[in-house]
Amino acid sequence: MLFTRFLAGGLKSPVIIGALVVILAIGVIVPVLNLAVAPGSAFHIPDHMVPLFGKYLCYAMAALALDLVWGYCGILSLGHGAFFALGGYAMGMHLMREIGDRGVYGNAVLPDFMVFLNWKELPWFWHGFDSFVFACIMVAAAPGILAFVFGWFAFRSRVTGVYLSIITQAMTYALLLAFFRNDMGFGGNNGLTDFKDVLGFDLQSGRVRSTLFFLTAFFLALNLLIAAAIVGSKYGKILRAVRDAEPRTRFLGYRPDKIKLFAWTVSAIMAGVAGALYVPQVGIINPGEFAPANSIEMVVWTAVGGRGTLVGPIGGAILVNAAKSWFTGVLPEYWLFALGALFIFTTLYLPDGVAGLIRKMVGKARSKPRGKDEETEAPAADAPAGAAE
Amino acid sequence: MTDTQSQSQSQSQPVPAAAKAPINPALAPTPSARKDTLLYLDGVSRSFDGFKAINELSFVLAMGEMRAIIGPNGAGKTTMMDIITGKTRPDKGDVFFMGDIDLTKHDEPTIAQMGIGRKFQKPTVFETQTVADNLLLSLKGERRGIPALFYRDNRKDRRTIDGILDKIRLGHRRDELAAYLSHGQKQWLEIGMLLAQDPKLLLVDEPVAGMTDAETEETARLLREIAVDHSVVVVEHDMGFVRDLGVKVTCLHEGHVLSEGSLDHVSSDPQVVEVYLGR
Amino acid sequence: MPLLRRLVLLTFAALALAFPATGARADAAEISAIVDRFATASKFPQVEAVIEALGAAGDPLAVPALRALEAGELQVAPDGRVVIERGDALLDPVTLEAAAPVEGRLKKVRTKNSIRRMIGDVISGLTLRAPEPAIRMTAAETIFASADAAQLDALEAALAEETDAGVKSRMEEARAAILLTASDDPAVQMAAIDIIADRGDQQALAVLATYANQASNADVQAAAREGVAEIESTLAMWQAGQNIWYGVSLGSVLFLAAIGLAITFGVMGVINMAHGEMVMLGAYTTFVVQETIRNSFPGAFEFSLLIALPLAFLVSGLVGLVMERGIIRHLYGRPLETLLATWGVSLILQQAVRTIFGPNNREVGNPDWMSGAFMIGEMSVTWSRLWIVVFALCVFGALLFAMNRTPLGLQMRAVTQNRRMASAMGIRTPWVDALTFALGSGIAGIAGVALSQIDNVSPNLGRTYIIDSFMVVVFGGVGNLWGTLVGGLTLGVVNKFLEPYAGAVLGKILILVFIILFIQRRPRGLFALKGRAVE
Ligand SMILES: Nc1ncnc2c1ncn2[C@@H]1O[C@H](COP(=O)(O)OP(=O)(O)OP(=O)(O)O)[C@@H](O)[C@H]1O
Ligand SMILES: [Mg+2]
Repeated sequence: MLFTRFLAGGLKSPVIIGALVVILAIGVIVPVLNLAVAPGSAFHIPDHMVPLFGKYLCYAMAALALDLVWGYCGILSLGHGAFFALGGYAMGMHLMREIGDRGVYGNAVLPDFMVFLNWKELPWFWHGFDSFVFACIMVAAAPGILAFVFGWFAFRSRVTGVYLSIITQAMTYALLLAFFRNDMGFGGNNGLTDFKDVLGFDLQSGRVRSTLFFLTAFFLALNLLIAAAIVGSKYGKILRAVRDAEPRTRFLGYRPDKIKLFAWTVSAIMAGVAGALYVPQVGIINPGEFAPANSIEMVVWTAVGGRGTLVGPIGGAILVNAAKSWFTGVLPEYWLFALGALFIFTTLYLPDGVAGLIRKMVGKARSKPRGKDEETEAPAADAPAGAAE
Repeated sequence: MTDTQSQSQSQSQPVPAAAKAPINPALAPTPSARKDTLLYLDGVSRSFDGFKAINELSFVLAMGEMRAIIGPNGAGKTTMMDIITGKTRPDKGDVFFMGDIDLTKHDEPTIAQMGIGRKFQKPTVFETQTVADNLLLSLKGERRGIPALFYRDNRKDRRTIDGILDKIRLGHRRDELAAYLSHGQKQWLEIGMLLAQDPKLLLVDEPVAGMTDAETEETARLLREIAVDHSVVVVEHDMGFVRDLGVKVTCLHEGHVLSEGSLDHVSSDPQVVEVYLGR
Repeated sequence: MPLLRRLVLLTFAALALAFPATGARADAAEISAIVDRFATASKFPQVEAVIEALGAAGDPLAVPALRALEAGELQVAPDGRVVIERGDALLDPVTLEAAAPVEGRLKKVRTKNSIRRMIGDVISGLTLRAPEPAIRMTAAETIFASADAAQLDALEAALAEETDAGVKSRMEEARAAILLTASDDPAVQMAAIDIIADRGDQQALAVLATYANQASNADVQAAAREGVAEIESTLAMWQAGQNIWYGVSLGSVLFLAAIGLAITFGVMGVINMAHGEMVMLGAYTTFVVQETIRNSFPGAFEFSLLIALPLAFLVSGLVGLVMERGIIRHLYGRPLETLLATWGVSLILQQAVRTIFGPNNREVGNPDWMSGAFMIGEMSVTWSRLWIVVFALCVFGALLFAMNRTPLGLQMRAVTQNRRMASAMGIRTPWVDALTFALGSGIAGIAGVALSQIDNVSPNLGRTYIIDSFMVVVFGGVGNLWGTLVGGLTLGVVNKFLEPYAGAVLGKILILVFIILFIQRRPRGLFALKGRAVE
């Protein structure tokens, strides 16, 4: 089948294959160490760590999505948090519906916050979220449609570089303001929380937690495979051509706006899926997820890992967030200092991230016996979008 | 197509003879003359902030013809190409391709897909991709993104690419990144990309700038070869190169055709001598 | 309305202070005698009689006593003296000098609501002929609001003597208000309506609207309705004017916050995400300056802002210079990375300020000349906003001069338009970059001084303005000061006009959406640079 062949295209690089194996292995090992190993053992992973790791993997998925547009298309999105949050809200709305009459007010039709606001009936856009399938469709559709519309306008008018970044930031900021409003019908300030079940299974139970974790790992692997297939195809080459010399591609007959729009929308959907898996694991989604700072943090995960490498951002997200967990536990005061320094250090000294560094070291080690051809490392795709046009 | 081509070549003969008086309004092509032209510009003007970069420019290219354009810096040569390829919209005037396609109504990708290829004054190749991939991206055919997801390497395309690589003498650097090519090689790669597009009309802006004499000669040979089955417009300052091409020459000045005809005819035109060749 | 009330109170305060100076009237004793009758007035009708007597005496000297009565401060001593008890002090009710101490308990002269209303009317009647025009004006206003027919005679009398044109017209309006209800001659009423409608403010609207609902004569009623409509349209104009003013003042704040960003973006092509933090640093500099002044030179508080301005410019400018030399210079040609690195700086600056000054709002005071408000017609203008608008215009003028008339400005413009060419012509672009960045940051610093006057000074101050500043820059276009000015003012005014309809949040969302759509049409903003270099 066409699509399988397309996916198989993602398996060309050994690095990707290795990463897929590792991710899936983690997806299995963590739940096993949590459920099957006795709590006393040194290998036991405590209950609260499973959703924490799950959260990291969701962030990794968001960073991967960002890399697809930033690394390969030169679009530095400062608004991917919006897609992440929209996916999260779509899932959250379904989980709210599953609460049913077990809310504080015991209202079978309306979620608690609507009862609290004295609403009489369910707003139209909440209909359908009773169905898990519908919610899953919305997880992809909500961020996908937003990205499509936004990208269609932005790319068509040839907005690029920092302008585009700023506009994406404005987008997520506008959504932040909107979702804070109570009358939007998304729970306002408090967002959606107090979830009980998913598909009838208790969210607090160890098995559901483990299943969710495995699913997150699975989707991360799937997204990585899709991204690798996209990047490895001829389309991926066009994408990079657009990144490096957008005006030139036009004179070859390509429509850069359409080319970018596809990657952009796919990336937004990936971020949405990440958000959807994030919500049941952390148990809450609120407008804070739309905060511009969140989106920019995603960028640093990608940058630290190494943009344009797909695998790098996954590692970057996990690394940075593990560091964040450690800092906020031990030295909460200093986390922002560390994060700020990380931004500066990465951009100054690690333009290709950790992955770039590793690649360079491996390349050097290998190039010695082989001669000139290998030595010439891929030039950094410097400021592709800003410089063009 | 082929018979109209031969027809048009014979029709285009009278033009150089009349080109002695370039300002003569009777020379302006009439719409009926549009029929068998490949490229037809009439009364085209374009100004930037009041500065007239193109001023009542009229220019006709017959099917299958190769034409050299010369002219001092700022004469509007590049701007003319911008107008033809849809990058710049003229303020007024007609721009027709193949007799009846109004190019002012289309954007760059559409015009490129219709069969107008362009090499830029400043060579722009895709530096982070291999030489072969640069050609692959230029290969005539599908231009939409999603089908490209399912594109498969095939022997036919590979053979085309290899053929072009031979032609532009870059076969040995096939899998190297374009960034590592020398300036002249980048110029050639861009010409190769034009060939891969297989356009009806090639617009080549200063192909030999920065090349050694030997390379310049090679390029002239290459362009003559291309001109066998393509229409070509070449902009160049290098008079030796233009002579090597051995084709009809148009001299632009201040956005306007100053003189048109054989190179000897144009270079003996006192106006051309004054504004361009000097002394 | 509350404003008017405050004005009235203020005037009476002035009144109370004014009287001792003019107090040596021949009939002070006479007034004292009447006031002393309060001692024996144990029933309400008796109290009313005394008040009426004071009114009939027609001397403003009685006002302090009446005011004290209204405020419940008028007391009767066991020895029959009437005194004012204000705080711990006992005052003579007429001269307001300290009164002799009293043995035993004081007894309050009792009042009730109807009496208090009566007092108000009597006071206004008395003050109609006060020597100070401002006091007479207030009195006329009071009568206009009450439209009490009992005041008509006093008013007519005062009107006959009135020489001040402004006061006279107010009195005429007051008379019209009385006649409108008191008279039953339609011609008189019509004339009154004309006068009131011409006045055209909220009070006039209230008087006419009330009357329009109860008028007995159809013609007069129609005229009153017409008058109401007329006033409403006048008021709508004032409202629009007020909105424009709010918009302009918001716009000049946006301009101040954005102009530094626009300069650095225009010249260097980099977005400084730490720009908001430069503004914040300026605000905290103001705080530190005021703290120092409070602790060491309390007298200089009025000048605190003038001292803070250059200091804020230096502090933010220096931080900017260090940033440019330490970080941004190494990222030239990579605008997206610059954006990220400056974001890192912004995190560090924010956390540093939080660590040093604490996470909460810090108190920055307004000097006297920045406090308070005044009215232009129906528009209220606060001094702080006015000064910020003026300040923004000064900054704009100074920058315009700097860009167009100084060597640095010339070089900056050259670099903006064509960096490579400028560099080839021997302009030291790194030096220009460093100075530009310092200048942009310094201006952000002085914007912070201005913002400290109208906003909370907290570590998050910068965050609140950064996105708005971006929008101004995106909207106005870079490389042109006018773009930023027009962009800031437009967004400010549009914002304020949207607010009443859409609410503050929705208005802001609409503006963001509008800008996202706007750059479809003009991807490089209103005042874009032209030419090939920018492509
Ligand atoms: N987008 C633009 N904005 C402003 N001016 C332009 C623009 N495009 C072209 N011009 C002006 O039009 C004139 C013609 O330029 P053009 O590049 O066509 O000259 P040219 O003949 O190609 O010169 P050269 O031989 O130096 O390449 C120049 O003065 C140029 O500055
Ligand atoms: Mg040119």
